[in-house]
Amino acid sequence: MSASWLIRRILLIAYTLLVVSLLVFGITQVLPADAAVMLLGENATPAALAAVRAKLGLGDPAWLQYWHWLAALLRGDFGMSMRTGQPVGPTMLVALSRSLLLAALALALMLVFAVPLGLAAALRRGKPIDLAAGIVSYLGVSLPEFVTATLLLLLLADRLHWLPATGYVPLTDNPVDGLRHLGLPVLTVSLVLIAHVSRMVRSETIDVLHSDYIRAARLKGLSPRRVLFGHAVRNALLPVITIVALDVGYLLGGIIVVEEIFAIPGIGRQLIVAIESRDLPAIQAGALIMAATYAIANFLADIAYALLDKRIRYD
Amino acid sequence: MIPILDIDGYTLEYRTRAGAVRVLDEVSLQIAPGQVLGLVGESGSGKSSLAWAVMRHLPGNAQELSGAIRLDGEDLRSMGARQLEAVRGRRIGMVFQDPATSLNPTLSLGRQVAEVLARHRGMSAAAAWQAGIEALRHVDLRDPAALMRRYPHEVSGGEKQRVIIATAFACRPELIIFDEPTTALDVITGARILELFRRLREETGVAGLYISHDLALVSRVAERVAVIRRGQVVEQADARRIFRAPTHDYTRALVQAVPRPERRLVTDGPGGPTVLAARGLGVAYGRARLFGGKPVMGARGVDLELRRGEILGVVGESGSGKSTLARAFSGLARFTGAVVFEGRALASPRQMDRAYRRAVQIVFQHPDASLNPRHRVGALLARPLRLYGGAMAELPRLLEQVRLPPDYARRYPHQLSGGEKQRVAIARAFAAKPALVICDEITAPLDVSVQAAVVELLLELRRRHGTAYLFITHDLSLVRQIAHRIAVMRRGELVDLLSVDALGSEAVHPYTRELIAASPTPVG
Amino acid sequence: MTDVVFRLLRTPQGAMGLVILVLIAAICAIGPDIAPVDPEKIDFLGRFRVPGAAHPFGADQLGRDVLSRLLAGARTTVPMAVAATLLGTLSGAVIGTVSAYLGGRWDEAIMRTIDAVMAIPGLLMALLVVNTLGKGSLNATLAIAVAFAPGMARVTRSVSLAARRQDYVSAAIARGEGGAWIVFREMLPNVVAPVVIETTIRVAFAVALFATLSFLGLGAQPPASDWGLMVAEARPFLHQAPWMLVAPGAAIALTAIGFNLLGDGLRDALNPRDER
Repeated sequence: MSASWLIRRILLIAYTLLVVSLLVFGITQVLPADAAVMLLGENATPAALAAVRAKLGLGDPAWLQYWHWLAALLRGDFGMSMRTGQPVGPTMLVALSRSLLLAALALALMLVFAVPLGLAAALRRGKPIDLAAGIVSYLGVSLPEFVTATLLLLLLADRLHWLPATGYVPLTDNPVDGLRHLGLPVLTVSLVLIAHVSRMVRSETIDVLHSDYIRAARLKGLSPRRVLFGHAVRNALLPVITIVALDVGYLLGGIIVVEEIFAIPGIGRQLIVAIESRDLPAIQAGALIMAATYAIANFLADIAYALLDKRIRYD
Repeated sequence: MIPILDIDGYTLEYRTRAGAVRVLDEVSLQIAPGQVLGLVGESGSGKSSLAWAVMRHLPGNAQELSGAIRLDGEDLRSMGARQLEAVRGRRIGMVFQDPATSLNPTLSLGRQVAEVLARHRGMSAAAAWQAGIEALRHVDLRDPAALMRRYPHEVSGGEKQRVIIATAFACRPELIIFDEPTTALDVITGARILELFRRLREETGVAGLYISHDLALVSRVAERVAVIRRGQVVEQADARRIFRAPTHDYTRALVQAVPRPERRLVTDGPGGPTVLAARGLGVAYGRARLFGGKPVMGARGVDLELRRGEILGVVGESGSGKSTLARAFSGLARFTGAVVFEGRALASPRQMDRAYRRAVQIVFQHPDASLNPRHRVGALLARPLRLYGGAMAELPRLLEQVRLPPDYARRYPHQLSGGEKQRVAIARAFAAKPALVICDEITAPLDVSVQAAVVELLLELRRRHGTAYLFITHDLSLVRQIAHRIAVMRRGELVDLLSVDALGSEAVHPYTRELIAASPTPVG
Repeated sequence: MTDVVFRLLRTPQGAMGLVILVLIAAICAIGPDIAPVDPEKIDFLGRFRVPGAAHPFGADQLGRDVLSRLLAGARTTVPMAVAATLLGTLSGAVIGTVSAYLGGRWDEAIMRTIDAVMAIPGLLMALLVVNTLGKGSLNATLAIAVAFAPGMARVTRSVSLAARRQDYVSAAIARGEGGAWIVFREMLPNVVAPVVIETTIRVAFAVALFATLSFLGLGAQPPASDWGLMVAEARPFLHQAPWMLVAPGAAIALTAIGFNLLGDGLRDALNPRDER
């Protein structure tokens, strides 16, 4: 990994954010025929409409509106919420921190289950465990989060009372209760990830186990355990890094849904609230921050891959 | 004396959806201490299955019906998994066909050598590493200590194969199995690997099972040769005798198919006007990128010409630019200099008009890739007829010309064998009634006997139509049988262009001489 | 065509997927006609009736028959998801093919931009678009199409480039074929199969995404019996009447599984080299 690669990769993130900002701004503020009417509804008074137009600079040409918005963004100013009158940036970042905790726990849970499950399925191909893993992954990939979430809610909270149904308790207030409240949302979003990633681990492992160098390792007299852990697992898991990074997109989408269902004040819920109340600056900030999260996650995955895989030279 | 390896009446079947397929049928072979047995067969003959059977590494659907496999008197078939681990790598070493895929790409070379020593000789990690350095030094690798820390993608194919050989010899095994160890390597690199093997044999006195499709090569490394066909050993004899006096019909056919420079297949000389010429032809690959990277020269300054009915052989190692030449002539690569056709100098692929495209046809190395898998054979052949103005009624005759039945027109390429597919590709080229056909390694993926038949077909088509060939190959012996002149390429440059009779003379380039020396020719 | 169906039926996933999807297609076609009760018939006396003879899947908070609503709702859920995917695939395929065709710097610029657009998660993109266009099924369909286009552009481009590099294309160029022949006769047949497979699997995502939008209140609007909306409406009554939730949830899952299975089956059936 060379410095020039890093610089290019960082420039790429900047380009990504530029494109995303253009799109977000374009879709939310430029595309609507009259953003002020869209925000306030058909029955708004002319005075209220004029006030909104002035506030958002809707009279200006589109590029100038964008430029003002972007310039403010670069100063760290995401604008004022039209719902609460508070600065949007800090609110969104606090919400993001809660969502990141949820995402991190989901990723951790995913790793704990998906990797062993995928490996076991690959090693016992065609056996009951493989079949079971296959069914689980079909279900996980096919069930939308809101269905999984409500079913888990029904089962684990409503019937078995193992976990609290909804709500959010900050970890700083009460770590145990905080984690218990995160239980259902984490379980929900990790299920899709487990389903997808275990399937990838399985197919990558099968490919690697069929490779010439694994045969060569076996024919050197290494024990099956050494062949598996010394030669196969590492190579099978490397491509999974990239897949997990791409899955962060699904994860973020899933987070929007589960935060709404389980009433967790994360960035997803903020976004839904903003969309429901047509709070334009909040929508723009939320979308941009989510896309940035995705871009940075993929950047980190690239670095991890480069450090772990000796074949790839980024120069 | 107990043989090192004793295979006795061994029969193996694979269970498939279509029923049981017998891959080895009552095979009996013995290898005495210090002896090397060559096992020769074409693809699908069961020769590799025999190696897996000895290594006790058979696929799940394998069924061993009878026979014994004994290593120094001990029955390998009755050994448990633990005992076998102690045999593999320790008492039987193995060298594989493709060094590029036989080393783990994410582990250092050192680790892959040292782990065998640690496993079988109970060495500590540090001692195994030191012994690994010695093992690499012993196979003539330069700076072995530094090499130990490098990764497979950082070294050449020849170096990788040496590392694998060092690993195989590291624990002083009683038997080494070689599975086509030079097939994936360039001719000169392969010859050096064989030299190394010869030296290590003398030093260690190891016994060997050398598996190959190449009868000429095997006759040079082995004392005895066994010929296997459809799972049956049809003949077993002294290596010298098998060439001089083959007894079985199949062996005789194989011997006949081995290309021998002294047995010319083309007797008439080239005649008539020039068909095509290159003047200062050069091809650059890649483009200057925004961040670093400069174009690579695929070929430069090539001058040559072909006359009507002439066969010009182009030889060289991979990356020497011989295929680049083919791409330039067929308008697939932009070039500098000029291609001269019918008195006109063409400066770019754009100037190659329909008459040129028709006159100059190309046949690619892999028919699997060059025949569109979604078109039937009939549609594949009809296209050039339509394009260059031929009658559809010619279609059956085209197939017949390459000795395929007319009903093959309804088949898809994947329903044909490798040799048949290549015949379709040849038929497609001849549908255009070309003046020149460029053959880019077209016999490389084929078995020897199939290769001989394809070459014979090409020569017959030439007799009939007076076609010239630009015959690109890495097989010098083959090209010496058929070519009028030979062009030797190295690193994008034409180092020699001479008549085939002049190859033995003193005037040749040193590199050409090295190529000749490295080409396997049969003994006896 | 019949050949492909025949081969599809020979793969276990393909056969299962096909059976599920034929069933669902039938429900889409004649669902409202075979519904035992009018799906919008309100019956206050029969609120939250437990599944039984009268209501096989129970009744909802307004006493409407869940089975009838389910049968009627297929029509508003599945065809929309299919349409959204097709629209997204088509626009993505055009972008991807153009990018592969242009090649060089243009290709690089287009693909970098596509990557950047893909940094916006699919659901978020759909939310933004629906927010602008307004709630409703049709807008949700458009939103999903927009969300799918970049991914399909990537897939199409990579398979086109792979086909472009094949020797049979080189052979066609060497033969002096025109651009149209090379694109439509040599490349396209080899590009279509992977794109069809990818599209099929994406319909499963579209079904989930469409239902999610309805669930969030941005897709189909009451009193429609869209499956996602049914789950959303059932949520407050989770404790009293779980069947209200399980039935549409299972319907969504079954549809998605059907398309996933069909996609995996097609992967085997459309491979020309696969002899069976």
